[in-house]
Amino acid sequence: MTRKKVSAIQAQENREINWDDYLQAYYEKPTSFRTWSGYETKELYTPEDRDGENYRENIGEAGQYPFTRGIHRNMFRGRYWTRREVVGLGSPADTHERAAYCFKNGGTGLNTIADVTYEMGLDPDHPWAQQEVGLTGVNIAHLQDMETLVGDIPLDKVSWSLITASTAAAPTMAQYVAVARNKGYDISRLRGSVQNDPIHFRYCGFRPACPLDLSIKLGSDVMEFCTREMPKWYYTTVNMYDLREQGLTAPQEIAYGLGIAMCYIDELIRRGLHIDDFAPRFTFYVSCHIDILEEIAKIRAARRMWAKLMKDKYGAKDHRSMQFRFAVHTAGCSLIPQQPLNNLVRIAYEALAAVLAGVQSLHCCSYDEPMCLPTEKGHLQALRTQQIIAYETGVTNVADPLGGSYYIESLTDKMEEEALKFMKEVEDVGGMEEAIRAEWLDRRFEQEAVKRQKELDQMEKLVVGVNIFTDEPEKTTPLGVQRISNISTKSQIEGVRKLKMSRDMNKLREAINKLRDTAAEGRNTIPAMIEATQTLATTSELLGTVREVFGYSYDPMNIIESPFK
Amino acid sequence: MAKKKIKVIISKVGLDGHDRGAKVVASLLKEAGMEVVYLGMYQTPQSIVKAALEEDADVIGVSYLSGEHLVFTPLIVEEMKKHGLEDVLLIAGGSFPPEDIPSMKALGINEVFRGGSLTGEIVKYIEENIGGQGA
Amino acid sequence: MGRSNPVNPDELAAGLLKGDRRAVARMITLVEDQDERANEMMKLVFPHTGRSMIIGITGAGGSGKSTLIDHLIGRFRRMDKRVGVVAVDPSSPFSGGALLGDRVRFQSHSLDEGVYIRSMGARGYLGGLARATTDVVRIMEAMGNEVIIIETLGAGQDEIDIIHVAQTCLLVLTPGMGDDIQAMKAGIMEIADVIVLNKFDLDGAGQCLRSLETIIHTGMSEDKGWAPRVVPTIACAAKSSDVHGVDELVQSIMDHQAYLHRSKKIEEVRAERIEQELGLVFKDEVEKVVFAGLKGTGKKRKYIESIRAGKNDPYSVVEEVLSTFLKEEILE
Repeated sequence: MTRKKVSAIQAQENREINWDDYLQAYYEKPTSFRTWSGYETKELYTPEDRDGENYRENIGEAGQYPFTRGIHRNMFRGRYWTRREVVGLGSPADTHERAAYCFKNGGTGLNTIADVTYEMGLDPDHPWAQQEVGLTGVNIAHLQDMETLVGDIPLDKVSWSLITASTAAAPTMAQYVAVARNKGYDISRLRGSVQNDPIHFRYCGFRPACPLDLSIKLGSDVMEFCTREMPKWYYTTVNMYDLREQGLTAPQEIAYGLGIAMCYIDELIRRGLHIDDFAPRFTFYVSCHIDILEEIAKIRAARRMWAKLMKDKYGAKDHRSMQFRFAVHTAGCSLIPQQPLNNLVRIAYEALAAVLAGVQSLHCCSYDEPMCLPTEKGHLQALRTQQIIAYETGVTNVADPLGGSYYIESLTDKMEEEALKFMKEVEDVGGMEEAIRAEWLDRRFEQEAVKRQKELDQMEKLVVGVNIFTDEPEKTTPLGVQRISNISTKSQIEGVRKLKMSRDMNKLREAINKLRDTAAEGRNTIPAMIEATQTLATTSELLGTVREVFGYSYDPMNIIESPFK
Repeated sequence: MAKKKIKVIISKVGLDGHDRGAKVVASLLKEAGMEVVYLGMYQTPQSIVKAALEEDADVIGVSYLSGEHLVFTPLIVEEMKKHGLEDVLLIAGGSFPPEDIPSMKALGINEVFRGGSLTGEIVKYIEENIGGQGA
Repeated sequence: MGRSNPVNPDELAAGLLKGDRRAVARMITLVEDQDERANEMMKLVFPHTGRSMIIGITGAGGSGKSTLIDHLIGRFRRMDKRVGVVAVDPSSPFSGGALLGDRVRFQSHSLDEGVYIRSMGARGYLGGLARATTDVVRIMEAMGNEVIIIETLGAGQDEIDIIHVAQTCLLVLTPGMGDDIQAMKAGIMEIADVIVLNKFDLDGAGQCLRSLETIIHTGMSEDKGWAPRVVPTIACAAKSSDVHGVDELVQSIMDHQAYLHRSKKIEEVRAERIEQELGLVFKDEVEKVVFAGLKGTGKKRKYIESIRAGKNDPYSVVEEVLSTFLKEEILE
């Protein structure tokens, strides 16, 4: 008897139980022994599976090359991972408020995310932006918005992750640095990160804002600027998480993520930086999905692969270059709107996987992720999930507690082996840039996404609430729905309009011209963007100016002309 | 007589770029024997309805994943009415709170299929609910 | 719209001639579905056709046809011409469904009322794709489009038949795909008036161009008034400044059209189209009538059985059916 029948039985209104079926359920066993990514497993792993293993070479201690077991010897004994919940909604003031709320409730790092309009490089008064400002994050159009977002938060005492992934990451850094300098901070002491991974962001629907050459240019400008001026800042968080959300398997996530990372690395080296100058500040954004053992193995493999890549391919000498530093975002695509409280359980397991894998910074989804932005209660619950793991479960006592498990070491090897195969495939296509240009990667995403859905449709994968143990659809969201206030949206639009009418246009023009010349001369655009930000240039004006130099339309949506012609 | 094919428009609207679901649904509806016109991203209510009109679509499927479902639904429905497409089935997929579903239906969405829907449900709904065949 | 509205053939035809897009869309569906009123409506519509410029574009998937068409539409719109586009996509041989993704490449025209785009899946037309498409082209002419563009893969006899309806035929190739050889085998080279070598920025483009020019010269018969042109293009580029060859392509198309009109070949071409359509409609209608006659009588099944049992053959069966059918018709 299949699971379907059991769930059908239990879904009956009157909940009458057929006792014969019940006995069958007692003896039920799984029908599949594959990992989430589809790899077969054995029923037991033994020392024989590790025969010939060279611990020192292949695995190493935590804190030692190739860092399979963790980038620090003492891992969480030295410092807990940062509890960094992603926050972003409405106006900069709304987002500031929620960020402060997280802080008050145990968040240990700030994490603010841009909305679709900001990521697209549009000001709130753009015709395409007006209806969507603040719906999925914060829009920062100019210096004053960033000032509002920062508010009274002391920048030298916090670590701030700015999640702008697209080419708009360049204006984001310019805006943050401008505010910091205005407040008298020494930017070389600031800690935090900017996501800054425009290459991958084309796959998240931001293709107009992220043409490949511009992505490499602006992404590398940010990386180069931070390497030189902000040694404590992480200038990129190469986002494998979003790739995984497309429907990829675990080894594909690593393979394509590392491939994209190499595009930036190659560019920075071309600009004359040495690998050890910048690699210590290279970080990654990784998913943790529901097959917790596979996820742990995946991350351990990623650490080993990165270490080898840095040492063997790029000739890194500094061990900090070889350390795979990563943040985890629990997998949004593993969550479902049906029976939403179940998501709390999924998130907890995924967060556990992240910690067991030795994460540096963690964002737990809010249980209502498939429905809306997190409410305060949702954020709180996510924080508490992290805190329970940190303070109650004991998994923080030991670095890489699953290291040495016959299964985990075998699965780690398997993840690496498969990821290398996927990387070879990309090489055969002509390299990652070519794979992107020829839309090879697009097709791979589409194929995998269809496969994942078919797995559910055909019950090859089982998900509680989707194809087993289904229930009547809910009518309400357990902890309420987060709404974005119209007032916030309107004030953003009004704010930027007013600003545009009250600026010193001469100073602005001069700064924009300087930015244009800098871009045309192939120099790093960030200092010029900072200056222009100080004269109240908006996000779209900064990006539009550089876009035109590269032969693109001023406006990614092709509606607005440059006001600086 | 030729077997009448069901013609479906699948589209995103506005800036939202989460298109994985829309593409998967488009692909699987094709495997279910339907003719699917995939419009992609950055569509407006006007461009969606123009396509539905020209293609003589039986179904419009919109994908919402960035909180824009209550913003765009009335605009799409209004545009459909303007062009006499009231009996085209309008379905929505994606990410929105259950509290909003009654409003969406009141505005004119015939059925919603959020994440976690199985392809069979969508196919069944479409086959059972499109307008009667011929005159 | 959908399927539930009642249909008045005269109203639909009248609406279509006035350019009512709903009427046009509805009519195209009725033609696709081989609705019994379709022929009556086509009779009303036909007199208003025959004067548009018809361009056919074939090429392998991934050759960039759709992107080229997007540019062409733009150019024709600048000339203030209304454009109709029929985009044919392959259908799944298993499910009969189709993913019609050409439209997605015509984004710049998604709101232009002077452009009418209809996507068609290649399978599932009882009368064959060619019959349906030729009728759709007539409909688009009647609604007032001065330019009609037909886009197909060019794979299969059906799609080659469609191209015979066009006046100016474009074949889109790309360097290194080995298409030039394949196209020759398919006979498409013989009917292409303009060969577009797209993705001209790829490796081997120059060589490909030269080899194409050689093939054309070798294959040219003496009395051909028009030498097929090869136009290199780069249709798809992230920056509009990197798009090349579209002006030359438009010029080639206009040159070919001018040639057709100047040399009066246009009349020949129109006659060929009519002959083609006549053949398609004839075949289609005869099949329909004959099978309609057999339907319900169980005769078709009996014939198949007897052939299978070795008691008969297809040729004798058809002879028998036709002679009976014709005799009956004539006697009436």
